[in-house]
Amino acid sequence: MLRIKPDIRFKKEITRISGSPLGECIQCGNCSAVCSLAPEDRPFPRKEMAWAAWGLKDKLMGNPDIWLCHQCGDCSTYCPRGVRPSDVLAAVRKITIQHYARPGFMGKLLSSPAYLPVAIAIPVVIISVILMMAGTFRIPEGPVNYSKFFPHIWLNTTFTAMTLFFYGMAFIGLRKFWKDMKRIIPAGGRKSTLFKSILQVLKEVFGHSKFSGCKSNKSRNLAHLLTFFGFVLLLLVTLYAIVASITHHYPLSFTNPFKILGNIASLMLYTGITIMIARRLFDRGNAGRSNYDDWLLLISILLLTASGTLVEAARFLEWGWAYHLYFFHLVCVWFLIMYLPYTKLAHIFYRTLAMVYARSVGRL
Amino acid sequence: MDRKIGIFICSGCDIGKSIDISRLKAVAEKHGAAFCREHPALCSKNGTDFYYSELENKELHGVVIAACSPRSKAGMFDHDRLLTERVNLREQVSWVMEPGHQDTQSAAEDYLRMGIARVAGSARPVPFRDSYHSSEILVVGAGITGLTAALEADSAGYVVHLVEKADRPGGYASKLAGQIPYKEPFNRIADPVIFKRIEELGTRKNINLYIKTTIATIKGQPGNFEVTLHGAYNGTIRVGAIVTAMGMKPYDPSALSHLGYGRLPGVLTSVEFEELIATRRYSEIPGRVLFIQCADSRDREHLPYCSNTCCGTTLKQATYIREHNPSAEVYIIYKDIRTPGLQEKFYRAVQGDDAIMMTKGAVTGVNPNGNQIDVEVKDSLIDEQIVIPVDMVVLAVGMVPTATEDLNLQYRQGTGLPELKYRFPDSHFICFPYETRRTGIYAAGTIRAPMDIPSCMADASGAVFKAIQCIEAVKRGEAVHPRSGDLSWPELYMDRCTDCKRCTEECPFGSYDENEKGTPIPNPARCRRCGICIGSCPERVISFKDYSINMMTEVIKAVHIPDEFEEKPRILAFVCENDAYPAFDMAGIKRLSISPYVRIIPVRCIGSVNKVWISDALSLGFDGILQIGCKPGEDYQCHYIHGSELTEKRGKNLQETLETMMLEPERIKTVFLEINEYDKIPGIINDYLEEIELIGPNPFKGM
Repeated sequence: MLRIKPDIRFKKEITRISGSPLGECIQCGNCSAVCSLAPEDRPFPRKEMAWAAWGLKDKLMGNPDIWLCHQCGDCSTYCPRGVRPSDVLAAVRKITIQHYARPGFMGKLLSSPAYLPVAIAIPVVIISVILMMAGTFRIPEGPVNYSKFFPHIWLNTTFTAMTLFFYGMAFIGLRKFWKDMKRIIPAGGRKSTLFKSILQVLKEVFGHSKFSGCKSNKSRNLAHLLTFFGFVLLLLVTLYAIVASITHHYPLSFTNPFKILGNIASLMLYTGITIMIARRLFDRGNAGRSNYDDWLLLISILLLTASGTLVEAARFLEWGWAYHLYFFHLVCVWFLIMYLPYTKLAHIFYRTLAMVYARSVGRL
Repeated sequence: MDRKIGIFICSGCDIGKSIDISRLKAVAEKHGAAFCREHPALCSKNGTDFYYSELENKELHGVVIAACSPRSKAGMFDHDRLLTERVNLREQVSWVMEPGHQDTQSAAEDYLRMGIARVAGSARPVPFRDSYHSSEILVVGAGITGLTAALEADSAGYVVHLVEKADRPGGYASKLAGQIPYKEPFNRIADPVIFKRIEELGTRKNINLYIKTTIATIKGQPGNFEVTLHGAYNGTIRVGAIVTAMGMKPYDPSALSHLGYGRLPGVLTSVEFEELIATRRYSEIPGRVLFIQCADSRDREHLPYCSNTCCGTTLKQATYIREHNPSAEVYIIYKDIRTPGLQEKFYRAVQGDDAIMMTKGAVTGVNPNGNQIDVEVKDSLIDEQIVIPVDMVVLAVGMVPTATEDLNLQYRQGTGLPELKYRFPDSHFICFPYETRRTGIYAAGTIRAPMDIPSCMADASGAVFKAIQCIEAVKRGEAVHPRSGDLSWPELYMDRCTDCKRCTEECPFGSYDENEKGTPIPNPARCRRCGICIGSCPERVISFKDYSINMMTEVIKAVHIPDEFEEKPRILAFVCENDAYPAFDMAGIKRLSISPYVRIIPVRCIGSVNKVWISDALSLGFDGILQIGCKPGEDYQCHYIHGSELTEKRGKNLQETLETMMLEPERIKTVFLEINEYDKIPGIINDYLEEIELIGPNPFKGM
């Protein structure tokens, strides 16, 4: 038997983020009926709406169901009371990311524009310190060569170490998340092995199959697909670049297949992000409520891609401020990669884990 | 014929195409009509001019208009001197039978003869007038309903006597902390309207307020009720009509110990909680309060109905708690939130409060846990089983109507108002709100049905209008309702009465009182003119001037019964005027095909059919008798409450009659028809004709 202890502050936080008149939900269940992703057994988001209205934080934080939602917005379109369940789930996801953020203050740091200067200052200071330690904290002479500014050995080691640090911290939070999922949705009768579940989920993620059922937000499918594969390609290109820098085939020439692949990937990112931004600006009704975390992610991806392109252009065109751009690009990389566990991009972890868990307990 | 009758036949609306009018005229003349006139469109301007000019300066007993249904062009052919009778050639003959056929012609001729017989057998009613007529109104109870009724009646120019047993007017509405929002924007608690009403009461001269006073007796009939008051005022007043606004009592919470009432100190009713707020004892309200909706309502063990206001009251009380304690948490466990009308807006406003949590669910336990109370809820929207620790539990309790026995009616059938369901007075609330089964006594407010304050006020106005209608109708000697304007009334030929008490028992409206011997004492102003007493009387003592045993016998005799060898059966259908007859008209309008072997006699109520009419019809050779009445039972549709039930009950008696006549039980059949079931009519008749065919023709035929 569940002992009820409402967290009114939590409820207020959801209301603030989602802008949803949570209490007006009459629990008609239309949202769950129209959702193409909700499982038949205890479907979302009907029950999540009740839990949110009762401020039941414990029930929502480690709840895999909120991650099974891909925020297509059909529930909000068909909600007779205008309560916008999809925005409520988005708010709960945002709070979840903060809730499992390790160290905790990092979650807070990236949750509000008030802390943005600090969030920017951190990579600026750390990168500067690394450069000072490497003894290259100045504009190098001669043709543009970024390794003169930031020696590869320094770049690869420090950035890899920082990434490992942050992701190691994230691992602690995610382990707690996994435990909570087990508590809230205990393993049902039908079970699948973890390995099989992971394979299935990867198939779904790469196939983007969960997006296709959506009616209210068709353009999102394409946008997310482009962005997602843009990222995957860039990840491959980056990994190749690291290897190339070690084997001294770096920098890559403009006609190198990997360089071409990288540029195609950035085009995909531009297109995907532009659609996403346009939707949030011009199709507000369907796109759902846009908050700081949404914009932070979109803008940082846009800036990362744009600065990457400029850095590349500066190298070939020998621009004078190439190194300034490069520094800026590194800050963008930091925002996206190091901060990943604390921004909306953390959904890569949470959603994947939740989908794997849901599959392993037979909820998908 | 000693009584001169004029006849008009309209040949419009296909009547002339279907029926041979010249043969019809011959029938009229054969039956001694003073004159018989034909017109192609009697309802046209030319037609009515023709009709009234033909009647000028003619010494006649009555007129028969053979045209369309009496429900069509109602009143168009009424005459201030003459009896008028409509013969329904259109809906009952030409629109439902084969044009030009001999059987159609026979039906038309029979109906004309029946119409003539009906007029010939009737007399013009003489209005009933009592020895005294009062136009004053008694209002019982000075709560929001009674006060509003008194003010409305006074505004309409009637003297009011307002009786209140408490020491001041106001009732429960004056004990509220605030009122559920009743006007735009419906999102804020309103100031109780009652206080303005009480103030207004002081400015009215024609409202006599009797506080700390109860009713000792009410005697008499509409227009002349004699009311004896007891208490601070002792005396007798005479009134024409009565509005009962005696209100409600909250359900007795001692039956709710399973929800902690009486067991745990922190459990109280919504009425007790309202008092806490009204008396501003906020300090006694702790930080976590849980409301249990329908604590007693919609529950067969307690109150099977919804009291309409408890949800609004809880939303209101939750708002008070939150306004006075910003850190308070409120829980509401409901079966369904019912906020009728625009109270929905109030519901939404309250839903906007982050610290008011609501869920559907069933409370399975209210248990002490240290200083707090654990409320167990199953089947909630949160989870299958939850426990909510709180500090106080409020039980939303419903309304129970005040016992109307306190009216102390000196009626043979009892001192209170007859009840329908759940102890609310029976008034057939859909068709006839405010009316009770006691003519001239109207129920308004929460004694009639559970309702909120605005509905009480609307009810009060409605009931006062009814009371005024009653006073004025009785003054003119007319029936009040539903046969508004009917001037006829039952007259008893007492020489033959055997004091069998059937009329006094069966009258649905308690019109008849009794003396010690059991002799009926009629109160015609209480009467609704249904004629159920005619149906009940074995000695045929009771008659109306235009609706009597003999008249109906003549009407039945007017039908020509073909002899056995023609193989044309005849069915006589007694059809209730209120629902079944309009259904027949609708069947006609829809041009359904109805057998020409049936003859319809409209009756005031199926309960008014006297056994003798049936035995007369059978001995005349009718092959079967159909009685078509309104739906009886829990959701009865009978305009006179239990006419249909009585017909069913009397069925046994009729079977005895059939046995003595050596006739088959199938010769009489009773059918209940709703007003919208016109499409069933052809089937009902054809099925019955088949049944009759199986048992063969009536052996009395041609005797």
